[in-house]
Amino acid sequence: MSSLLQSFTTELRRGTLTLAILSQLRTPQYGYSLVQRLEVAGVSIEQSTLYPLLRRLEKQELVTSNWDTTESRPRKYYVLTAYGAEVYEQLKNEWTQMTSELNSLLKGEKDDEFD
Amino acid sequence: MNLIDVYVYEVTRRLPEKLRQDIDLELRAAIEDMLPEQYTEDDVKDALSKLGDPAVLAASYRDQPMYLIGPNVYDAYIWTLKKTIPWAILVTAIVHAVVGIMSFAGDEAILAMVLKAIGNIIANVIMVLMYVLFWITAVFAAIERFAFSKEGFHFSKNNSSWTPDQLKKVDMIPKRKAISRGEVIFSFIWIIFWLMIYFWADDIVGIYQSVEGSGLQFVMPFFNQNTLLSFWPIIVLIAILELGLVVFKWRDRQWTLKLACANTIIHVMSFVVFLVIANTPNLLNPAIIPYMTQTMDTTIGSLTSFLDWIWRFIAVGFAVTIIMEAFDSFRKATKK
Repeated sequence: MSSLLQSFTTELRRGTLTLAILSQLRTPQYGYSLVQRLEVAGVSIEQSTLYPLLRRLEKQELVTSNWDTTESRPRKYYVLTAYGAEVYEQLKNEWTQMTSELNSLLKGEKDDEFD
Repeated sequence: MNLIDVYVYEVTRRLPEKLRQDIDLELRAAIEDMLPEQYTEDDVKDALSKLGDPAVLAASYRDQPMYLIGPNVYDAYIWTLKKTIPWAILVTAIVHAVVGIMSFAGDEAILAMVLKAIGNIIANVIMVLMYVLFWITAVFAAIERFAFSKEGFHFSKNNSSWTPDQLKKVDMIPKRKAISRGEVIFSFIWIIFWLMIYFWADDIVGIYQSVEGSGLQFVMPFFNQNTLLSFWPIIVLIAILELGLVVFKWRDRQWTLKLACANTIIHVMSFVVFLVIANTPNLLNPAIIPYMTQTMDTTIGSLTSFLDWIWRFIAVGFAVTIIMEAFDSFRKATKK
């Protein structure tokens, strides 16, 4: 893949990352479980991106965190706040609308090719 | 050596104190989650390489921008630099030139003094440039961090967001009418240069002779300084008029009929003053003619006609320059 294409792809992915993370935080998750859930769904995320991003979301009051020390090792669980859930719903709608618009654009282009 | 400990240390030492403990714990848990039950050092290395360079990781934990001047203040920053730096250079150069001349004791050769002064000016200009650059950058970096880093806030030199109404304040200067900044700065320096020559002619304009062992030496001034200085009020008046022209050219940035008229009139006045001074009796240092006839091995008659010839040449050059500039300025002013 050319480096230009790579940088475009990274940029596209970065925009969707917050949405992907918020979607998985309706139930409490810790960092590594989040990585695994996303990977199962085919979304790969650098861990070095994930942890700072979670912290930022917490600062923006979209998620809260608490330490669970009952298991063998302490883990920090993140979960959506009410405000976070609200933002997530709105963001999801935006995404649905955006993709359908973009799909019709891309589909239109395909039709033109066959004219 | 436990690689995990070192890695966590390498990240947290770059972070503010209050975040360290929490991030320390979370990172450890994250790394251990990636490892199998019984792990080897290679497993640890694999896990750590997934997290990447600790410096980069630490940087992404920090909220502050990783640049000094961001896009919000960049325009204002560059604009400020452009407005400040030329003046800083100019003022420093002039101040040090004047200081250099004032501190001239008279026991050195002029040329040596000029070279020393030029070195001094360059050194000082560089120093002032560094000060100016440093402080402007420091102030804008502070603005970037503390005052205007809020999202959606745009800091421009007008200190408000852009509206189409601002277009009404913009003067579009057509290129064919424009007076370049360089031209204006040059005339400013030119005026200061001739003023200094005039007031310190007895130290600058004269006969130089290289004396063995001590370089160039100032032998005697060319003009009779008393006669020359008797014109000072008119010279100061002309200088003020010329400087006024410079101010207007700087402000308007383009030739107008009024400016072209004023320019021509003031230049013609300068020329007349030059002619009057040049035709004053006793202008030359009385000692200079005998000295030159002696050293150049010629007669007084041929020397005076030679000097006459030189001064006519200068006068014609002066006149031609004025006519050309007048012609050019009127042509530019009347262009549609």
